[in-house]
Amino acid sequence: MKEEFETTDMALFVRTSEESMHGWDRQRIVDALLRETYVDLDTAREIAKEVEDLILTSKIKMITAPLIRELVDTKLIERGLEQARKMHTRLGMPLYDVDQLILHPNKENANVPHGPEATNLTLAERIKKEYALLSVFSEEIADAHMRGDIHLHDLGFIDRPYCGGQSLEYIKRFGLSLPNSIALAKPAKHPEVLLAHMVKFAAALQSHFAGAIGWDAVNIFFAPYLVGMSDRELEQLAQMMIFEFSQQAVARGGQAIFTDLNLYWEIPKHFEKVPAIGPGGEMTGKTYSEYIEEAQRFVWALFDVFKEGDGSGRPFFFPKPLVHITEKFFQTPRHMEFLYHISEVASEKGNTYYVFDRGETAKISECCRLSFKLEQSDFEDAQQPWKMRYCALQNVTLNLPRIAYLAKGDDTKLFSKITEFMELAVKAHLEKKQFIEKLLSLGEKGPLALLAMKRDGTPYLRMDRATFLIGMVGLNELVQIHTGQEMHQSKQAFKFGLKVIAHMKLLVEKLSERHRMRFVLEQTPAESTAYRFAKLDLKYHSPKSGYIVKGDLSRGEVYYTNSTHLNVSAPINPIERVKQEGLFHPLIEAGALTHLWIGEAKPSKESIANFVIKTFRQTQNDQIAFSPEFTTCNACHRTSRGLQAYCSYCGSKEVDGITRITGYFTKLSSWNKGKMGELRNRYRNQAFIETRGGETVLLA
Amino acid sequence: MELIKVFTKSKCPKCPPVKEIAQELKKEGLVVFHYDLDTMDGLAEASFRGILSTPSLVIEDEEEKEIASWRGIVPTLQEVKRYISKRGP
Repeated sequence: MKEEFETTDMALFVRTSEESMHGWDRQRIVDALLRETYVDLDTAREIAKEVEDLILTSKIKMITAPLIRELVDTKLIERGLEQARKMHTRLGMPLYDVDQLILHPNKENANVPHGPEATNLTLAERIKKEYALLSVFSEEIADAHMRGDIHLHDLGFIDRPYCGGQSLEYIKRFGLSLPNSIALAKPAKHPEVLLAHMVKFAAALQSHFAGAIGWDAVNIFFAPYLVGMSDRELEQLAQMMIFEFSQQAVARGGQAIFTDLNLYWEIPKHFEKVPAIGPGGEMTGKTYSEYIEEAQRFVWALFDVFKEGDGSGRPFFFPKPLVHITEKFFQTPRHMEFLYHISEVASEKGNTYYVFDRGETAKISECCRLSFKLEQSDFEDAQQPWKMRYCALQNVTLNLPRIAYLAKGDDTKLFSKITEFMELAVKAHLEKKQFIEKLLSLGEKGPLALLAMKRDGTPYLRMDRATFLIGMVGLNELVQIHTGQEMHQSKQAFKFGLKVIAHMKLLVEKLSERHRMRFVLEQTPAESTAYRFAKLDLKYHSPKSGYIVKGDLSRGEVYYTNSTHLNVSAPINPIERVKQEGLFHPLIEAGALTHLWIGEAKPSKESIANFVIKTFRQTQNDQIAFSPEFTTCNACHRTSRGLQAYCSYCGSKEVDGITRITGYFTKLSSWNKGKMGELRNRYRNQAFIETRGGETVLLA
Repeated sequence: MELIKVFTKSKCPKCPPVKEIAQELKKEGLVVFHYDLDTMDGLAEASFRGILSTPSLVIEDEEEKEIASWRGIVPTLQEVKRYISKRGP
């Protein structure tokens, strides 16, 4: 037959994805269509023939498998077989993009360095992101993300939960016994070994979560191992812990593990009577209350290390120390001494996060600002602290300014659009949950084996306790578009902002009840989302958006104000900012934070401590952090205060700035344009930092 | 003249007595505002006033400055009146 002859005669080679060359075989197209889509055999044969004819007439000698696939896809489109085309899609990247990626750093996440491992991470993320948008999420959700109505965070990590809170007690009790591991380690007998287990487990967890790994009550759970240690030995252990978590030796894509260490000066009520686990995973016969001295000595030593900074005096970027301030804190001896100690670190290096657990509230912080208030069942778990493992499965953020553009000043439309966007977020959560459950159902032989392991009888990842986060970006701009004023400009505007968040809070409660899942509001850190939303709104809601987005349009450095924050450039008294922003915090269950930018100033430890006490006593703010700025020299490797164009020691221009991008410190050279715009606008409280009798004071 | 602001929720067991106090004060000619924390406006106002629990009763002056408040507790009518009579006409 003519066509058979022609096919055999084709001197055509195909470069396949299996790194080999094959002679032309039309049947391969038919096989792929039958395997991957629902088209029938006749249609598959017809398409294969048409593609063959097309290639034949082109007289091409070499063709790639991706091109054949695209040609097949055009034939599916011609037949209106849209679903089949989707199923037959090839995921990948253009040569040019890969080239750029290998040569230039990724600026979507400032915590990713530039190097071959980071490139691997980014390439994998790109493919998984495409996979998520095509295969995990419905078209409605994927389109809402692409349009920028909502943002689905960490799409490149679609096959993992978002972030998790861990308990050291798990590895103290069960040792390091990981699925797929070639060696099993029994429970640690020495503090250095416990630290080694913690770091390795953290690295394993980093491979199973997209974001932060938080550790609860680290100094308390280490305490039984520290009995009888000298100050020098403790100092050494503290140094090891901080350097292990701050250096990028073990981590995914060369990326430091985003680690939060939750620390206490007192033994919090929920751990007071808990039997302590000591060396070898054995119960010591004592409760944690009896280890307060060791716990305090260790947390003091950790802050000594933070005060020193790294080898060149820079602040440690990770781990992040979160000190919980409770009523009991103020009843615990030497608390003021400790408060001055950590406040000196806040002033010198900025590391300290102050987490306020007022009344009977207890919290575990996991992510940049993500924390969970413990419920009754958690207090019961606290009696067996290895059970205290939490996770947030995903974070979906709403583009609030977008809603205001669409509402055109109409209140009813505005609130119904918020509801509509929230329902989209919930649908996205349901779709991700279904996908993760599918992976977990494969148990210890599946891709999430670590999270499915059952060392204490229940899976490591407790899905029944999972949280589903709904975040927000640009409340300030929503209010500005809708009322004509920003939130700091009038009481009415501020109250309108509260009304929006109150609406969202009531809605998450209702949706949680309806779906029997825990949806909670979160202040999205929005490292790149605030930039992405602003850019997309400039595209879709111009010219109005041109007057609303913050930053510098001419440089392309545009952003929306993060979450429920007030305008970062507004010269507001810092304690007033803490008070006002704090009024939103009780509505945002998954945690909230106020940043206090202090630039190059170094307020005294006493004035910072005073500010912290006032915040605890007189506001409802959940968490505060003071952020200084530094310049680090790449020539002489010394670090000076403030953001400078030249090194103040050697005069070199080879310098980089360091400050908090959102919830963590990084070098400015890794920041995206939106955050650079925000940095230029940040009000550094200069009018409220005074020098009195040679002492720098932060007014409160 | 003082303003009375009462913050309640539908499923809060201690709220009815505070509602009764508010009704009594209204009968005596005081301006009383009710806020239901199950509604958006009620929750927003409560958040603005830093009210985290129900029932709560706040007495404010004409410029909305707080004179006295009972947060998460039920005061007696006499206790509330004590603050009103001090500042009353």
